[in-house]
Amino acid sequence: MNKTKVMIVDDEIEFAQPLSERLTLRNFETQTAICAEDAMTLLRTNWQPDVVVLDLRMPGLDGLDALSLFKQVDPAMEVIIVSGHGSTTVGIEGMRRGLFDYLLKPVEIDELVERIKAAAEKRALALQK
Amino acid sequence: MNPPLANFSKKITGVLCGITSNGAFCVKGRYQGLQRRLLVILLLIGILPLSVMASLSFIEYRALLRDETNTNARLSAESARQTIEAYLQKLTTAIQIISDAYPFQELANQERLDKVFTKLNQDFFGVVDLSVIGPDGIQQAYSGPFNLVGKNYLTSEWYTRTLAKKMYISEVFMGYRHVPHFVIAVGKMMTEGQGHWVLRASIDTEKLDRFMSSIYSEVVTDVFLVNQSGELQNSSRHYGKVNDHFLLPDIPPMRPIRLEEKKGAGSTLFAFGHVEHTPWIVVLELQAYAGKNSWIAFKSQVLWLFGVCITLVIILAFRVARHVAMTVRSADDERNRILAQTEHTNKLASVGRLAAGVAHEINNPLAIINEKAGLMKDLLEHTNEFIYKEKFLKQLTSLQGAVDRSRTITHRLLGFARRMDVKFEPVQINDVIHEVLGFLTKEASYHNIEITEELQLDLPLVKSDRGQLQQVFLNIINNAIDAVGRDGDIKISSFLMNPNHLQVDIVDNGPGMPPEVLSKIFEPFFTTKTGKETQGTGLGLSITYGLVKKLGGEVFVDSTVGSGSTFTLVFPIIANDRGDALQ
Repeated sequence: MNKTKVMIVDDEIEFAQPLSERLTLRNFETQTAICAEDAMTLLRTNWQPDVVVLDLRMPGLDGLDALSLFKQVDPAMEVIIVSGHGSTTVGIEGMRRGLFDYLLKPVEIDELVERIKAAAEKRALALQK
Repeated sequence: MNPPLANFSKKITGVLCGITSNGAFCVKGRYQGLQRRLLVILLLIGILPLSVMASLSFIEYRALLRDETNTNARLSAESARQTIEAYLQKLTTAIQIISDAYPFQELANQERLDKVFTKLNQDFFGVVDLSVIGPDGIQQAYSGPFNLVGKNYLTSEWYTRTLAKKMYISEVFMGYRHVPHFVIAVGKMMTEGQGHWVLRASIDTEKLDRFMSSIYSEVVTDVFLVNQSGELQNSSRHYGKVNDHFLLPDIPPMRPIRLEEKKGAGSTLFAFGHVEHTPWIVVLELQAYAGKNSWIAFKSQVLWLFGVCITLVIILAFRVARHVAMTVRSADDERNRILAQTEHTNKLASVGRLAAGVAHEINNPLAIINEKAGLMKDLLEHTNEFIYKEKFLKQLTSLQGAVDRSRTITHRLLGFARRMDVKFEPVQINDVIHEVLGFLTKEASYHNIEITEELQLDLPLVKSDRGQLQQVFLNIINNAIDAVGRDGDIKISSFLMNPNHLQVDIVDNGPGMPPEVLSKIFEPFFTTKTGKETQGTGLGLSITYGLVKKLGGEVFVDSTVGSGSTFTLVFPIIANDRGDALQ
């Protein structure tokens, strides 16, 4: 069975790196990017993520704009925003743009894993259709 | 206002007073000063016109009375003078007729003179004698009670003046008889042209006294005659007998009656008038206006009325000033209460914004700590046993526990700051209470706490947000359970407070709170839960307060140490726009 591919886009490398490693230990295939442009570079390679774990505030494009961009590249790609800046307005706007879920940092790894799995299942179903 | 609500309102005002100021607006003296100033102004407004009116009436009436009194005095004096003048005129005319009718030689005849005297005495009461004085000044004949024949009047003043004026009325003098009298003398030229002879009549002043007594009246208290130097010419009631001295003012020798008022205790008015062809001045002593009963009565009535009016003005001014000061004070209190509430709300909003900023900034480093600790733990779990493995795992678990606690705080802070949309809908508040109790009953029974409900069945619906109402009741009832601890009671009652509001009371029999805690209970980050298991963030009641205000309601708390606490929630039956405005 193919591993779920997770791209972590966060300018806080001290957060992204250990999270990436923890997800790897939980049988996910992960890549990290420090900004939306970096992520786009990654998407232009052959490696296509199933789920993106995205920060909200980053240099360059912010999380919501990055979400729109990713959805343009791959509409079936599921995005989970994990940010320290919680806001209902942002959450609602994100949902409008196709966001799968919105979690507030610091996040429980089990909860995140569960949401990633759910997102992956949703993507799988979408791709089947 | 409903008494319980008023009570709570007072308490919350006291609480807010403590929060917002150093007691600057609790200045009793300021309102006393205002009351005093108002009292002075009102007294001036009331008393000044009253005094002016009273003074004007006083002055006008006095002038009127004085004019009337003066007129009466002039009339009385004029009447007295005319009476005296008429009598003297008649007597003088009679003597002149006698002197014209009889020649000197005939009148010098004693028998003739006696006859004439008898006739004269019959017609004119008071004529004591009648005498004829020859050109040599020696009395030639005398008819009267004394024998004065042969008396020489050549050097007498009256004789000299009679010869000069041909007709003379003397001042009163004692004469040879030592009896006060005056004379009327007429000088006639001898038929032979050798000098003048004189016919003289003496009149006792008793006659004058009789005239004077007829002039006395209620207002005329004394009447008498004085000569130009003030010597009395007849008896006076108050100023002595004949020849006594009366202090006469300067009276010009003119016809009109002259008035002089003698001020003082007696308040007397004098009228003076010259009697024509005589050396006399008639003097009337009258009661001045100030001594009259009508004036005294008027004065006492005015004073009495003035006193009553002043008393009424003082009472009214005092009451009005007090009422205005009280009204201003209650308006100020209300304004201060609203200001304090606004300040409190602003404070909460500021704290909320600050909290949100802090929470956001802390969440990121917390996430790093969480992930790094998690990774270390993951790696350790995939590592073979080594001497400190368990200890490391324990430390990492503890570290993650600390992160969890911090996360709870930051997430609540964000919940406190968050402005969620309020969805107003008709809500039956009893249903909301039931739903919340459904969550909490198990927890309460675990602590042996009995929750009783006294919910009014026919309560009208409120227009509110169901989810936020649940949050409110959950927070307060949870707090009550924590406060009671074990083995206690919580009573929840709902009822219609007034046609526009309903009230929910949540009463516990926990340890209660002292006033210093009560005053800070809705402050953010204030907590009394310091135990390891029950440690609080100090945000629960702040959030509750904010939610209740957002829903257009009020929350009050009353507590007594040792007896427990009562949280009172008041909600409008028809929500106003306040909730929307706060969003």
